[in-house]
Amino acid sequence: MIKILLVEDMPDTVELVRRALSAHDYEVVHAPDAETGFQLALDERPRLILLDLGLPDYDGQTLAGWLRAEPSLTGIPIVAFTAWPQETARKMVESYGCNGYIQKPIQKVKDFVDQIDSFLKTG
Amino acid sequence: MTNEKIQLVPTSRFTIEQLTAIYNQTRVDYLVPMPMNSKRLADYIADYDVDLEHSLVAMQGDELLGVAMLGVRAGRAWITRLGVLPNIRRGGVGQALMNGLLENAAKLNRNFVMLEVIKNNVPAHQLFLKLGFREIGELLVLRRAPVVPPPDPVVADARRLERVEALRLAGRDRGTMPWTNQSETLINAQDVSGLQITLADDSQGWLIYQRQKFILTRFAYKTETGNPTTVAYAFLSHLHHQYPRLDTHLENIQVNDPHLPAFYEMGYVESFRRIEMWLGDPPPELHIKASI
Repeated sequence: MIKILLVEDMPDTVELVRRALSAHDYEVVHAPDAETGFQLALDERPRLILLDLGLPDYDGQTLAGWLRAEPSLTGIPIVAFTAWPQETARKMVESYGCNGYIQKPIQKVKDFVDQIDSFLKTG
Repeated sequence: MTNEKIQLVPTSRFTIEQLTAIYNQTRVDYLVPMPMNSKRLADYIADYDVDLEHSLVAMQGDELLGVAMLGVRAGRAWITRLGVLPNIRRGGVGQALMNGLLENAAKLNRNFVMLEVIKNNVPAHQLFLKLGFREIGELLVLRRAPVVPPPDPVVADARRLERVEALRLAGRDRGTMPWTNQSETLINAQDVSGLQITLADDSQGWLIYQRQKFILTRFAYKTETGNPTTVAYAFLSHLHHQYPRLDTHLENIQVNDPHLPAFYEMGYVESFRRIEMWLGDPPPELHIKASI
């Protein structure tokens, strides 16, 4: 199974993502905050990190910076998961070295899973 | 929500965990999500002089409906963290909280009240206008990622400022700056230091900042002589050369700040904007506005 690390503090969103991805043979590992997310990235070596930009300890941009500065995590796609306006999301993604973003809320599960597939293929 | 009367209860009657929970519940659907854990909220309360005795939770029976906090400093008050549960908005809870805070500010003889509202948060903006607040200007929230390579430091005489000297420079005449950037915030914050720059043409300026474990933040700066953009580029080049792996997060920089071009040149990007609003007039002792 392909392992995805989801860093997200909202329980409802975690549940929705877990259900959507588990149904397509992904394994979802979950962290509710940035510090746990960084540790799980090191411990679990996921194939992709899906990162909420609003987290309760440090925000998602700060975590993206830590992840990008960690040599052992080089090459793992980081995808921001955010309700921010597209222009803001795009600027943050470019600045912090993320591979792209997926807009919240999830409107159609199939589209969401397709986006995850696409980021995994293009890295 | 029932027809039962809304009660306003001082936040001091709740634990920090309860306040964190109600605050986060009011923000779940915000355009710019700013969730906090208990430590982060406790730091926020301490750094920004939030008065928990005069801040309020709105309740109906046992149910918590919303929260709003009041910062109190000499001659001024500040409204912050106002939030109402999403499913009961437009039911008068926000206005009840605001009225309660303004009454509490008046009891404390604070007739000059400041706040910021996220740009495009139309309902909150309208509520503040209705209560008599007026727009003062736009504020920027800026970020600089550590993945941006630090530039070579500009050739200059750069002198490190320890906390006491840094706070002395930050000065006392900054009471009409946005609340988050006033001198009291720097005085309350840990790990504050600074740097003073003199360029070859005798241009001079200084930068005060807080260095947290992973973040540089809470900047105060001034160009004493010379071009603000040139001086700012010089002090930022030294700062980011010294701390290349730290994320930088700046709150509430005024849009007409003459130093701004240097920030953009250094790789800062705009995250979002707020509108600063005031009710009443600053008392005379706060009238001298810092020229930063």
